[in-house]
Order: sequence, then structure tokens, then C-alpha cells
Amino acid sequence: MSLWSRMANVWRGRSVDRELDEELQFHIDGRMRELMADGMTREAAAVEVARRFGNRLRLREESRDVKLMPWLDDLGRDVSYGLRTLRRTPVFTAVALLTLALGIGANTAIFSIVNGVILRPLDFPKPEQLMYLTTEFPALGLTRNPLSVQEYLEFRKINRSFAAVGAYRTMGGAYTTGEVNLTAGDRPLRVRSVSVDAHLLNTLGVQPAQGRFFSEEETNRAGGLAPPLAILSYELWQIVFGGQPVVGQALNVEGRLHEIIGIMPSGIDVMDNRTAIWLPLGLPAAIRQDRGFHILHVIGRLKDGVTAQAAQTELNAFLENWVERTGSSDHVPTNRPARAADHTLRIEPLQDAIVGDARSSIWILQVAVAFVLLIACANLANLLTARAESRRREFAVRAALGASRSRLLRQMMTEGVMLCVAGGMLGLWLARIAVQGLIRAYPTSVPRMSEISIDLFVLLFALGVSMATGVLFSLAPVAQGRMNDLVTAFKEGGDRGASGAGRHHIRRALVVVEVALAVMLVIGAGLLIRTVYNLTSVDAGFDRSRLVTFSMTLAEPYDPDTRGPAYQRLLDKLRVAPGVQGAAVMSGLPPNRSPEAIPTRIENHTAADGSAVEIVDYYQFVMGDYFETMGVPIVAGRSFEPADAASPARVVIVNETLANRIWKGRNPIGQRVRPNLSAAIGFGGNSWHTVIGVARDVKQSGVEKDTATELYVSLDQLAMAAPTMNVVLRTILPPAALSRTLERLVREVDAAVPIVRLRDMESVFAESIRRPRLLAQLLGAFAGLALLLAAVGTYGVLSYMATERRREIGIRIALGAARSSVVALVMKQGLQLTIIGVVVGLAGALWLNRLIASVLFGVQPTDVATMGTVIATITIVAAIACWLPAWRACRLDPNAVLRAD
Amino acid sequence: MARQDALQGSLPLLVLKLLARRGPLHGYGITVQIEGMSNETLRVQEGSLYPALHRLEEAKWIKARWAKTDSGRKARVYEITAAGRSQLEAEEDRWKAISAAVGQILKEA
Repeated sequence: MSLWSRMANVWRGRSVDRELDEELQFHIDGRMRELMADGMTREAAAVEVARRFGNRLRLREESRDVKLMPWLDDLGRDVSYGLRTLRRTPVFTAVALLTLALGIGANTAIFSIVNGVILRPLDFPKPEQLMYLTTEFPALGLTRNPLSVQEYLEFRKINRSFAAVGAYRTMGGAYTTGEVNLTAGDRPLRVRSVSVDAHLLNTLGVQPAQGRFFSEEETNRAGGLAPPLAILSYELWQIVFGGQPVVGQALNVEGRLHEIIGIMPSGIDVMDNRTAIWLPLGLPAAIRQDRGFHILHVIGRLKDGVTAQAAQTELNAFLENWVERTGSSDHVPTNRPARAADHTLRIEPLQDAIVGDARSSIWILQVAVAFVLLIACANLANLLTARAESRRREFAVRAALGASRSRLLRQMMTEGVMLCVAGGMLGLWLARIAVQGLIRAYPTSVPRMSEISIDLFVLLFALGVSMATGVLFSLAPVAQGRMNDLVTAFKEGGDRGASGAGRHHIRRALVVVEVALAVMLVIGAGLLIRTVYNLTSVDAGFDRSRLVTFSMTLAEPYDPDTRGPAYQRLLDKLRVAPGVQGAAVMSGLPPNRSPEAIPTRIENHTAADGSAVEIVDYYQFVMGDYFETMGVPIVAGRSFEPADAASPARVVIVNETLANRIWKGRNPIGQRVRPNLSAAIGFGGNSWHTVIGVARDVKQSGVEKDTATELYVSLDQLAMAAPTMNVVLRTILPPAALSRTLERLVREVDAAVPIVRLRDMESVFAESIRRPRLLAQLLGAFAGLALLLAAVGTYGVLSYMATERRREIGIRIALGAARSSVVALVMKQGLQLTIIGVVVGLAGALWLNRLIASVLFGVQPTDVATMGTVIATITIVAAIACWLPAWRACRLDPNAVLRAD
Repeated sequence: MARQDALQGSLPLLVLKLLARRGPLHGYGITVQIEGMSNETLRVQEGSLYPALHRLEEAKWIKARWAKTDSGRKARVYEITAAGRSQLEAEEDRWKAISAAVGQILKEA
């Protein structure tokens, strides 16, 4: 009989009985007829048949036993028995369920991040074929940089490895900042945008949900001006247009009417850009010619059967024949000293490029949360073992009544797994809440955050973890070799068997493991907290207290010449606004800028690579009292002054790093540079400027990075401005109190311009360290939980051991031992275990160095201060956990204890 | 009791042999055949027969189906399977070996 029909028999029990009855009745009838034919009366025959059949009920049972899977029957009994037992001990059950729900819930929540970000493939057809192409500048130390237009176009034409290659741009061109102003309804809106060519959409392999995509011609106009067309993301379409039909309608984007030609499918994005609107790429002729202008992000789709290595080999060859193809040895490494502009090409799977260095952070969290679960398991194992002890009598009785050893074992396992399944379900519910909370609390700290959900895979993970946990901790009492004892306990008579030292091996080991895991977690959390502290206390070069900032864009029909006066008007209004002490406008908001690397000519200076131009990492275009408002000290020379605006002598200010690199101790004041303004901002020409001052270094792209070279250009002098600028105010008011005034003042300049990201400078800094902060906060929470669980576990084990030694302690006290020596006796036992745990934990922490080192800043993984603090904390917590049972033990009344036996 | 003991262990062998020789039979038919052929020396206890039949069925040595008898009543009839035939051969050999050995001892002891 197949397993299936056996199982079916369990549910069909009744009909099996009926079939048997029918079969037996047939037999009985036959036998009766035979007996009566031999001359018996009906009654006598019936008696004889009944005798021969024996107990009909038993017969049925025996026959049925063959058919049913007996263990399923037993399982039912185990479950109902287990339920009754768990209900009888509500405190144990509640503690166990809570611990499990927290452990499994936290694990499931973090695993849903691992799953959504790292494991789940991107939402494109054959996503494993998608590769991200980047340039690397060894001399500048830049990685994952965009490509120049010409090398993209050349590569697309001659490549063999890729079925399709496409490009996009988030910065520059008509849409400068990766964000655009939309006018939808009556309010201005700012959304994230991307400019793509037709090849990119083809490469990704997606189809429009409605309408159409851009054609090849539309994204490759000879003049470089992209036609006013737009594709909306599904989400923008839903939120702003309520899903109404909009294809073919006009939409005001950056002051120009654009035709909506299509809607993207839901959830489609490029490189985690959170794109709301897709615009056609426009490549002006000047950009196409400039090989030094790296602006295109390139994605390729490998041909079927072509490996990433083969494609990389082709890219290398592409660089090797660069000189004969282009007739120039610029931009690529050849047989000459390396130059700053030299670069190589690299591909990596698109998903890896998106996840980037978030990967290690996510795995750190998963490891941490797994540790918490292990500690929870150890605690439950302890609890269950303790409970097994107190159930010795029950098991002994059941064994005496004929229950086999394996049957009792299974009973324990059933209870454990039941607890875990219930805990797992609670945990799943907690995980759902936690995931929603995480997405809300850290919306951009991790890429693909919006894709995180509890899907089938996560459900299976939760189920698997629950089952594994259940088996793991319910095996502990068994591993302790107690089952034999349990079964023979009845014969021994008492329930207070002799307590051999060896019997506590597992218990002791559990305490050591718990402490060790807690030590590792707390050290990790400590290091991350130090990292966040270091990051927040980095001197960014300016006074960030009482600074409020926002950004705004003056799009077409403004041009550089009309934007300058417009921003100037706004500054004049802001300076006299109530509560505002100073106001300035700047092109790049520190410390969250991206490197610009602009080739700049410097008088009487040759770059280290022999080139006539020096690469300056950042240009900062400022208007108004920038240095005074930001609180950036001028360390030499002077600041920009109002008189400069009218003066024909062009002036610049450099930062300390630039002054030291170029003039190496000589006086930079009076030196001349020729900033490449047209490359940096698109206007202003290229003329000689005189250095009038040196400003203190300001952190540019991340407080954790070294300050790079920077050049300050006065927009007051140029009387022009870029479309998007950052406004900064020195004020005693918080952003919320200022927002109405600011909105009014901006509206007075231009009613159609929205204020974007109004916040104080502290929030800007908080955002720049959002990932270490996420790690520190979550790791801190996990470490706290681990510490608590480990303390509870240590306390539990020690209490138990102290209780077992009650007699001995009672005798000691009766014989005159001091209470303090009793406390010492019990505490020694616990602290020994703690010390072993700490040592093991330290070793483990050192071993895990590699995992955590990449996310630390300003602190070594082996930081002595952190380790010392952690050891002290753990020791204090452990001491408290040990002291409680010790204190209770020393207050034992020897009379009561000894009489109890 | 004695008669039942006489059958101990050999009932499956007898059932298999009967089904192999006589074709499909129902439970009652099997008892009647055994008793008839052994001149009532062997009597099958119904209490043992049905569990034995179901065990044989479980082992896939016999299979059962519901069939109409000549009198038109529904009866559960058992049939030997191919696996049952090879099992029968093995059991028969074993039985012969044992009874030969027992006979030998009875003769010479």
C-alpha cells in the first residue's frame, strides 16, 4: 500500500472499518450456514461463531493497525498532549514563545532584506546577462565612473560580446541634476529623472505598459537637443495622475511642454535611481567630440552563451587598439608614465553594481541576527532541559506504563517543534511589521529598498528556521544523556537524583556559547557606534550648527544671464528675512557632492604626470557671503568682496589641499589659474583668474573621505548662475519655522519654482552617514537583545545549579560558613563560565574582523578601548546575573533545607 | 488451542499456497479449504486469519478486490501476486527444510 493510501486511511478510518465489517459479515454468514447445516440451532451456531471470532472489536483494531500509519495516530496524541502540557505551564510557554517570536521575527525581517536586495534577481528578462560598464582612473583613484560619449558610441558599434548596449545620464544636458520640475495640477513638483537612449530600453528588455518608448532617432538628434517627450514611471502615473489615461497629453517639465508618449511597467528602474520620469537623451556635438568628458552610464546585455570574462577581454582589447583607432594616446594607459586622465574599462553584473558595498552591511546584519537566534535557542534549550528535569516523574510513570524511549523522545520533539511553529508564526507577523518599519525608517539606506517584501522564499526561510530551531533546542535535554535517567528515575524513587558534575556539561557549554555570541555582537555594535561617532565628529571644515539649506532650479526659459540676477534678487530678500543672519548660494552641497575632476590650467605649473593641465577635483560656484555664512575660515589672503563683482580682474579662492599640492609652501596669493568654466558649468569662458585667498578644507563627498582639491569661483563676478543651486542660510530658526517665509520669497522671484529638500545642515550630515547609522542602530538593538538574553540565560543556569546545591549550601551554612563565602562560591561558578565565554567571544570577534572592517571608520576592528568597554559591560551584566542566585543561596535557612529531605 | 498452535507461523504459507493453486478465494473460502483439505486437523481461527490476510496484502504478496459470488453477494476475494509466488517458493523451501530437520530429530533422538 502506498504511503498516500496509508495516509488516506487515517482520514478514511470509518470507511475502512465498514469494509472490514462487510468482509467479516460475509464470513460469519458462511460459517453460520455451515454449522446450521451440520444440525446446530441458529443460537448455538451464533455462540460458536462468536467464540471462534473472539473479540470482534479487537480483531478490527488489529486489522486496522496494519492499514494505518500508526505514527500519524501517535502524532495526533503527542500534539494534543503537548498542547495540554504547554497550557499547564503558561509562564514557560509565554517566555518561550516571546523569545522565539523575537528571534525568528528579527531573522525573517533581515532575511527579507538579504532576499530582496541580494538574492532576488533584477526584475528584467534574463537579468544575469545585464552588465554595468564603468571606467576606472587609477591615477585619480576613481572607480565606477561613467564613459565618454565617443568611446560609448565606438564600443557599441564594434563590440561582439553584447547583444545590446545602451546608455543613460542623470546629470547634465537640458535636465541637469537628475531631478526635474513638473507642473502637474496646481502645484510644482520635483521628481527624479533619467535621460536614456533608445538602446538602453532595448537592452533592459522591458516593454512599455502603455504607449511606446523612444525611437532611435529621437534619442540621437544630430543637433543634440532632445525632443520634448516623456515616459512616466508607473508609480508617478498612479500617484500624480491617478492612473487616468495620459498618453498623448502634454506635461510641463522644467518649464517646457513635453508629450507623454508612454508609461513604464510597474517597478522598473535603472541602477536604483528611483526614476519617476524617463526623458530622451540629447548629446550635443561638443560633448560627442570630448573624450575627457565622462558622462554616460552604460549597460550592456551579453549575447547568449557569452561569459562576462569574454566581454572583459574584449573591453581590454578595445583599450589596447585605442591608439591606432583614435590616433591619440590620450586617455588610455600606454607605454608612458601614467596620466590622470588615463582610464580602463570594467564590467560587473548589473545587480552587483546596484547592490555595491551595501552587500557587506546586509550580511553583517544577517550574521548578527542569526547570533541573536542562537542565543535564544541556547536559552530555550536551557529552559527545556530544566523542564525535562522537573518532568522526570511524569516520564518515569509513562515509561513504566510501557512507553518506549523513542516514544518519549518524540513527545519532547513534538512539543519543541510545536513551540517553534507557533513562535515562527508570531515571528512572521513581527517580521511584517519590522519590514514595513525598516522601509519607512531607512528608505534610501540600502539599494532596492522598495523591493523588500515577505515573499514565498522568505516564508520558506521562516518555516525552515522555525523547524530547525525546534529540533535544535528540544534535542538539548537528549544530548545531555538524560533520557535514560529520566526513564529510570522512577526506580530510583526520588526526583532529586545525585547531581554529578558531568551532568552540567551541556548547561555550562550553553552559557559559554551565549556569552561568546553576545561578546561578538556587542563588540560589533560598539565598533559601529564608534564609527558613527567618529563620522559625526569629523571636522567638515565649516560650522554646521544653525544652518538651513534647500535647493531650487530655474529651468528654461531662464538662461545663465537671467538666472544670475534672479538668484541675486532672492538672496537680497533672504538676507533681510526675520531670523536670518546670512545667506549664500552654492553649486555643490557639502558633504554630499560627486567628484567633477575638471582639467585646469595653472600658470607656471606642470602636473605630476607631465600634462599641462592639473585635474581639480571640485569647482564650487558661490554667490553672496559664502564663507561668512557657512563659517569657513579664510586661512590666507581675503574672501570675495562686493567690490570684486564690478572689477574686471577675475579672482578665485582655493582650498588648502589645492594650495599645498600646487604651490607646495610657496605663497599661493597672486598666482594665476585658468578655470575651465565651460566644462564645469557651461558658461563663463576660460580666462586667467588670480588667487586672492586660501579657504580652510571643506569635506566634499563624504566626511569619511580625504578632502580633495577645490576651486571657488564667484558667481557675483560672472553675474550668471547654473539652473540648480543650493541656498544656505545662517539662522536661529528651524527649517519648519522658516518654510512659509521661504516659500513666499521664492514665489516672489518665480511662482512656478518649488523649494526642494528644505532641511538643516545636521540632517544633510545624517544623510551622508545613513548606512553606518543604520548598521549601528540595528546592530545596537541586536546586541542589546543578545546581552539581555545572555544575562537571562546565565541567571537561569546559575539559579538552577544553586538550587541543586541547596543541601550542600545548607550544610555549609549550618557548619558556620560565612554568607559571603557562599556568595563567592556560587558567583565563582558563574564568573568562570563568563570568562571562558568572553575569551571565546574575543577570539570569534577577531576572526570576524574581515567582515566588519570594510564598514568601519576611524576605528580598528581590534580597537582596545572598544574591546575593554565591551568586556567590562559584559562582566558587569554577568556579575549581576550571577549575584542574584548567589544572594538567594546565601539567605537559605539551613533548617528548612535540611528538614525538607 | 492446540489446533490453533499447530498453525502458528504457517498460516501465510498455507494461504499463499491455496491462492496459488485454487485461484482467487474469499476469506471464508480459505478457512473452508484449509479445514477440508486437512480433514479438519487444521482449523483456522478467524481472529488470526484476517490480520494475516491484511499483512499479506500490505506486503503486496496478495491483492484484494470486491467481487460478486455465485449467489450474487458481494465478497472480498484475494489473489496471489507475482511477488507472492516468489515469496511462496521461498517459504515452501524453508518449511520443507524445517520439517525435514524436525522429522530427523524425532526419528533419531
